[in-house]
Amino acid sequence: MSSLPAPVALAAQLALLSLISFGGIPSVLPDIHTLVVVTKGWVTDREFADFYAIAQAMPGLPMILMMSLIGWQVGGLTGALACAVATCGPSCTVAFAAFRLGHRFRDAPWQQIVRRGLVPVTVGIVIASGYVLARAADTGWEAAAITGAAAGLMLGTRTNPLWILITAGAIGGLGLI
Amino acid sequence: MVDELNSRETVTLGALFLEFAKIGLCGIGSLLAWAHRVIVDERHWMSEAEFAETLSLCQFLPGPENANISIYVGSKFRGPVGATVAFLGLTAAPLAVGLVLGILYLRYPHLPVIQNILGGISAAAAGMLIATGIKMLMPHRRRPAALFFALLAFAGIIFVKLPLLAVLAGLVPLSIAGAGVMSRRAE
Repeated sequence: MSSLPAPVALAAQLALLSLISFGGIPSVLPDIHTLVVVTKGWVTDREFADFYAIAQAMPGLPMILMMSLIGWQVGGLTGALACAVATCGPSCTVAFAAFRLGHRFRDAPWQQIVRRGLVPVTVGIVIASGYVLARAADTGWEAAAITGAAAGLMLGTRTNPLWILITAGAIGGLGLI
Repeated sequence: MVDELNSRETVTLGALFLEFAKIGLCGIGSLLAWAHRVIVDERHWMSEAEFAETLSLCQFLPGPENANISIYVGSKFRGPVGATVAFLGLTAAPLAVGLVLGILYLRYPHLPVIQNILGGISAAAAGMLIATGIKMLMPHRRRPAALFFALLAFAGIIFVKLPLLAVLAGLVPLSIAGAGVMSRRAE
């Protein structure tokens, strides 16, 4: 791969990792770090961490944005777009094929049992992810109160979540957290 | 189970694109909470149960789970074209916004007011995600085995600090076996 231009080599490697990113792109983040920071030196450790933090704070899919920012650093706009496509293209194709196959056997009794078994584990993982995020954002009782209020409003009312986010952002921006 | 909540004809490609763009653009911190809100609560494109099942499947597939949800919804109503349109809606506009803001942020890093706003938003987004998990659990609240395995998965990640794949590999076979035994007893 050393003879390929950097953006092409990066996109090709991302496409391969996309195919094996079971459980999401973060599961192959260590491999990506090894490639772009350690082996190739395309971005620094600090940039890698900054890209991760920026991607979490922006709208959209964080990992696509993070890979695009790395691509931007390596090859400008073309690099950014190539990395966006490489990060999701292969995995989306696999997902499409899997849904088609699954739909064919949708009413088989074993599939219903598998689904009843899968869902509780998934739900536990979702709540755990929320808890991890809450701990990461937890700078004191004020932040914890915002987390609790947001959860309460989502469960108990039909408030548009956008207002919850805007209010929370305003409270933070005023330096109240 | 309600399988087809919407018929194929009522879901246009434009609606797929716009609703997924809304999910992508609003979903700062947690796309999943928005995906649930739009797909289940607002548009009724999936039932609560179907959403939870699809998400489970997405956790086993490679790639970001929210991207895979857009592929599922798009292909359910409009085939491969719908899948592509829903995925582009979810990703294109947010990527443009994110790239511009991200590159600006790299130029002018660490303005305190921006850090503070982001802090408030992340705290609220965490609460939204927890609420989404609780909503997904509601259809299963009368099944003690389901509550037990949800609790085990939570504890495995939070207290034992196991990686996601280890939790899935360890608990899913047991949980499925449990569901199999229960359904045999019910017959």
